[in-house]
Amino acid sequence: MSTALQNLVNQPYKHGFVTDIESDVAAKGLSTDTIRMISAKKQEPEWLLEFRLKAYEHWLTMEEPRWPNVHYPKIDFQAISYYSAPKPKKLASMDEVDPELLRTFEKLGVPMNERAKLAGVAVDVIFDSVSVATTYKQKLADVGVIFCSISEAVREHPELVRQYMGSVVPAGDNYYAALNSAVFTDGSFCFIPKGVKCPMELSTYFRINTEESGQFERTLIIAEDGASVSYLEGCTAPKFDTNQLHAAVVELVALNDADIKYSTVQNWYAGDENGKGGIYNFVTKRGLCKGVNSRISWTQVETGSAITWKYPSCVLRGENSTGEFYSVALTNHHQQADTGTKMIHIGKGTRSRIISKGISAGVSNNSYRGLVRIAPTAAGARNFSQCDSLLIGDQCGAHTFPYIQVGNPTAKVEHEASTSKIGEDQLFYFAQRGIGAEEAVSLIINGFCKEVFQQLPMEFAVEATQLLGLKLEGSVG
Amino acid sequence: MSRALSQPLVLWGLLVGDALLGATPASALTWFKQLRAQAVERVGVLTVPTTRDEDWRFTDVSPIAMLSFQPARNTSGQTLVDIAGFMLPEVAARLVFVDGVYAPQLSRNDSGIVVANLADAVLAHASEIEAQLARHADFQDSVFSALNTAFLHDGAVVLIPRGVRLEKPVHVLYLATREAAASYPRCLLIAGAGSAATLIEDYRSLSEVAYLTNAVTEMALAQDAHIKHVRVQRESGVAFHIGQCVVSAAKASRYESVSIAQGARISRYGLNVQLCAGAECTADGLALIDGEQLADTHTTIDHAAPDGRSRQLHKCIVGGTAHAVFNGKVMVRRGAQHTDSAQASRNLLLSPRARIDTKPQLEIFADDVKCAHGATVGQLDADEVFYLRSRGLSEQAARDLLTFAFGAEVIERIPVAALREQLKAQALAYTHH
Amino acid sequence: MIVNDSKTLLAVRGLRANVNGIEILKGMELTVKAGEVHAIMGPNGSGKSTFAKVLAGHPAYEVTGGSVEFGGADLMTLAPEARARAGLFLGFQYPIEIPGVANSQFLRLAYNTVLTQRGQEELDPLEFDDFVREKMKLLEMNPDFLSRSVTEGFSGGEKKRNEILQMALLDPRLAILDETDSGLDIDALRVVAGGVNQLSRPDNAVVLVTHYQRLLNYIVPDYVHVMDAGRIVKTGGKELALELETRGYEWESHPVATSPAPASA
Repeated sequence: MSTALQNLVNQPYKHGFVTDIESDVAAKGLSTDTIRMISAKKQEPEWLLEFRLKAYEHWLTMEEPRWPNVHYPKIDFQAISYYSAPKPKKLASMDEVDPELLRTFEKLGVPMNERAKLAGVAVDVIFDSVSVATTYKQKLADVGVIFCSISEAVREHPELVRQYMGSVVPAGDNYYAALNSAVFTDGSFCFIPKGVKCPMELSTYFRINTEESGQFERTLIIAEDGASVSYLEGCTAPKFDTNQLHAAVVELVALNDADIKYSTVQNWYAGDENGKGGIYNFVTKRGLCKGVNSRISWTQVETGSAITWKYPSCVLRGENSTGEFYSVALTNHHQQADTGTKMIHIGKGTRSRIISKGISAGVSNNSYRGLVRIAPTAAGARNFSQCDSLLIGDQCGAHTFPYIQVGNPTAKVEHEASTSKIGEDQLFYFAQRGIGAEEAVSLIINGFCKEVFQQLPMEFAVEATQLLGLKLEGSVG
Repeated sequence: MSRALSQPLVLWGLLVGDALLGATPASALTWFKQLRAQAVERVGVLTVPTTRDEDWRFTDVSPIAMLSFQPARNTSGQTLVDIAGFMLPEVAARLVFVDGVYAPQLSRNDSGIVVANLADAVLAHASEIEAQLARHADFQDSVFSALNTAFLHDGAVVLIPRGVRLEKPVHVLYLATREAAASYPRCLLIAGAGSAATLIEDYRSLSEVAYLTNAVTEMALAQDAHIKHVRVQRESGVAFHIGQCVVSAAKASRYESVSIAQGARISRYGLNVQLCAGAECTADGLALIDGEQLADTHTTIDHAAPDGRSRQLHKCIVGGTAHAVFNGKVMVRRGAQHTDSAQASRNLLLSPRARIDTKPQLEIFADDVKCAHGATVGQLDADEVFYLRSRGLSEQAARDLLTFAFGAEVIERIPVAALREQLKAQALAYTHH
Repeated sequence: MIVNDSKTLLAVRGLRANVNGIEILKGMELTVKAGEVHAIMGPNGSGKSTFAKVLAGHPAYEVTGGSVEFGGADLMTLAPEARARAGLFLGFQYPIEIPGVANSQFLRLAYNTVLTQRGQEELDPLEFDDFVREKMKLLEMNPDFLSRSVTEGFSGGEKKRNEILQMALLDPRLAILDETDSGLDIDALRVVAGGVNQLSRPDNAVVLVTHYQRLLNYIVPDYVHVMDAGRIVKTGGKELALELETRGYEWESHPVATSPAPASA
């Protein structure tokens, strides 16, 4: 790899600072006592404590998945703190937010105050384990949209939470989902009532700040008949030499004719150039297209984390429902990503579309793993998948594992994959036309990712482009 | 989890200390005996894969382990008249194995090169065979390969000397005749530098009975060798077939294969090709199944060195409640720059209860490569059906014809005209209602 | 055309270059003056394409000796993009495909870097669109070229036309066209050659690198050089190309002496 390229891919992580703020951190370790403590701190109803304890019981019987194409030492679940919250814990308005916190999010470019209003985006901010602020609540409430932290939702809208939580990702779904169900601390809740088009983008910003805490947030979004919403989450964490575990669960439910668009820009700390530190991002995200003609669309730009293991999925139960997955995953240095999606076609006439772009640099490994299953009931189902890999340098790996399982003869499934590279010849061609390496790489990457970036809300498309830039642009040697 | 084989050993027809071990063709060949002894030992340790093993997720071999198959010790005395329907015209040599046992009266060799039974060849060409036999098909981790190696006795040996180019194909016919028989056919082909030949392996049966074929083929291609390999699995519809072929392709050599799977209740074929610098491979396949059949094809094309090229087209046509599985791995190792690989999995489901699981997979560790794969599952093109109907064909006839054409694309790639026509006729019969 | 007393654009002296440790250029000599059209011919493997890439600064080639002056400056110390901005254009034998990057976007970026270099205002997308469409007429190019990704899915002829379009936009002082004629049918060849001819002026120069005489029916060179084993072994006028066509390269493969280009004599 040329030195120009090497310089380009070795950019420092800009969100790696620690906020000096007083936090209420629980002692390390996991037991039924830990779970009772979390539940008590949140003043949860009995049914939720039971939900947690059941999940924990199930988790104890499970084994960590070994099939992903990622490698890491065994996680000591007793060495993690399962609760960490900045003091004071709950705020009545933005004005009460610790100025240190505000500065943190300012630094991260998260619009929490004036800028939030200008951008017209409602933001829920999760700092370590708790939601610290939600903006635009009142304006949303006026049209009937509920947007708050999940803890608040448990208190204010228990019937909704109880009805839907665990209905898409059952407590015992997989190892990390079970762990999350037992110990989740906070997350966002969003409910769009019948016929309402959410008037603004909703956004949650996740930040891990404490070294030995895990982050186990839980997000639940429900769109009733004819409702629609576009939602974005962003994630960062400070640089630590140790690895932090992030095991989130996201559940989406779309009823008849509902439309949910969920976008993620994930930039957790990825570890240093020698692979030390970084987040283990083991996340379960699943949407249920429950109603006819419903649509769930996942867009993710994954640039951070030491290890990423996530498959935002769609269960297409409603007739003529649609699932989409648009992904850019970039790995550099020692990062490992095993990511993709599952499209489970159950209803008649269901359609899905998968566009995955993997970019590998350094000595990283980037795997696409995707399942398209057409159940015998899914007459006339359609799927199209496109999985492209871009390699930068000859020490990285790009892998494609598509699983296609078809049990209905009227279904049509198409999958395509290809590889390309950014190498000397490509850069030389640009240089010969007077375009420097930095700009060339940025052009090539943006061209490669175009179909995915087009799916992001405008402001976040810019953010995502810049993020990839942070990872791959810089001083040219 | 998988169950240990120590007890089912008897079921597989293998008794440790069996007289078979003593029946080694040449007791002087200690390496040969040792090889078998090592394999016997592995059989005792290895377990039969279950559907919890990722590589066997869709193929449940427990029905095989349940049954008691015994290896045949002698042929049942077929004559050339009995096998007339199984012969191919214009072959340079023919080797026939009946229930795994060499049948000299049915075999002939006009090729001018060594095309012989392993039990005989191992004496006459010991050093050449020792250097290659069981060096490619690993039996440390695969119980089926270990079993085959434990039973090493009869088998096809094809030795093509440096620079020799055979015009006509070599035909190896594996014929099953007996119920509950287990056969362990082995084939070893060694192609010298710059040589060329066509090998046909044909697995067939005289009657619709249940038996087990557990086959292993190994091929070593020296530099610039060019081997065409046609593998036709048309076992009885109630039989079990587990086969694997391991090919080691040296620098600038070329391996071209077409494999057809249309028989057996449960079949599994594993093809593993390793390509050295500048080597080329085409690996095409067709599974044409119906009823309650399961046909599983696992291929690995391993680009171990630079400048390799591979092309693969695998098709499945699945009717009834049949289930086709395709797992095609293309591996590009670190440093294997300028690899050029393309793979396509195309599938047609004919009935509401038919099922296909396909997984084309790419694992790439080099950046200056051209790799693409694609998979489709679908139906016949509606416009094509309409076009044929507008020319007067009934809808059924139009569909039958297009289904046939879908399969014929692979059959057409078989380099032996007589076999091609035979298989096309069979495919036509299969696809016409 | 040969113009008396015109400025020397390119002066190559004793140029040696390696790729992967193997010496390909073994003392190249070439002088190109403003207004001239040169053709470099020679058998496969003679080093023609290597020479073109070394001039443009391809990183795979290591220059081990000699000197190259371009417009009086030492070319070899410049980065590839600096050479391009200084007015050296290489028409690639195999133009690179860049999926997802619209041709118009790429062309505008390249053109604006040249404008910036010359201290001129950049063109916005609309201005550029008018400008480029004008240039495309010259090359009989379909406007839908602009919206397609850079050379992705282009035919061989389209790729080469696109290279000439870039040349027209960048308006180089010296254009080196590496096997621009390969893979072109006769119509495409005529169009490409027509474009090159129209772009020729007394203050710029063209070096055609080609294996065949065919292109020289359309672009008439002032000098024809025959290259073999990393050096120019014979130089003559346009009639030399015809001689090569009828007699092949073999008669030239064992030269008695190297004659320098007349222009540098």
